[in-house]
Amino acid sequence: MTEIKLDCMYEACPIPLLKAIKKLEKMDIGDVLILETDHSCSIKNVVEWAKKQGHNVDYMEVGEGEWEIYIEKRK
Amino acid sequence: MSSNRIEELKKRRQREIRVNKKKNQKFYAFIMSIISIIIFIFLLQNNKIYSIFWVIGLLIGITLQRSRFCFAASFRDPIMVGSTSILKAIIIAFIIATIGFGIIQYDSIDSSGVIDIDRLPGQISPVGIHTAIGAILFGIGMVIAGGCASGTLMRIGEGFLLQIVVLIGFIIGTVLGAYNFEFWDKLIIKKSPTIYIPKYIGLPTAVILQIIFLTVLYFIADWYDKKNNLMSS
Repeated sequence: MTEIKLDCMYEACPIPLLKAIKKLEKMDIGDVLILETDHSCSIKNVVEWAKKQGHNVDYMEVGEGEWEIYIEKRK
Repeated sequence: MSSNRIEELKKRRQREIRVNKKKNQKFYAFIMSIISIIIFIFLLQNNKIYSIFWVIGLLIGITLQRSRFCFAASFRDPIMVGSTSILKAIIIAFIIATIGFGIIQYDSIDSSGVIDIDRLPGQISPVGIHTAIGAILFGIGMVIAGGCASGTLMRIGEGFLLQIVVLIGFIIGTVLGAYNFEFWDKLIIKKSPTIYIPKYIGLPTAVILQIIFLTVLYFIADWYDKKNNLMSS
């Protein structure tokens, strides 16, 4: 039940999503991935992908144009 | 689809953010609105058509930014992650554009019914091997750069720094392209035929056929999305 931070600042589409997919593969069920990004398309892209995969997901704006996406691995 | 753990995490982060207060962007929005209105009034007095373009441009920009409409992602995501939601949006946009262009072009055909390609509004250009080469080059560049032309410009406006590098390449590319256009025009483009399907089968038939074709594509995209959904779960 750990929280893992993933830094995707200044990374353009689709790098944040690819990084998240790779990281999630290595994580255990129940772990939460915190993805930091400043790319506004990622919050659409990554959230949609995570929902489709059946993970719990939500995001929040933490600063000026900076978001954190929370993904809880479910399977 | 948020869970309790994520909610807890969000609340904790919210408290942390409140400590170092967020800046308010309303002031910048106000200044930008005033500047755009001044430009609009200036254009209205000097060039009416440009003032209309200015408003359309602003509206397109706002739509693009709010909807996260991305041409690069629409063709990349189906292959990369099996999601076609943006591709479906693009297909719907194509259907609307087909109807719109159909009406505009139908209006410009004179009573004799003969279609003169040179007089039709719209970008009707010769197709040939140069179209395929250009498409492949643009496609590769678009995916590496992380966005198409409109998406790149929109994200620079948002303040996404990385894409300024893309803009520099963009300017170099377009300048080189314009500079060398004559060479390519003489070499390939002029020799290629201009194909305008309505010329052969009539405009209404062509529009209906294109809409049917796009609708079929839409359902294929929808099926592809669902299929990938089932496989991954």
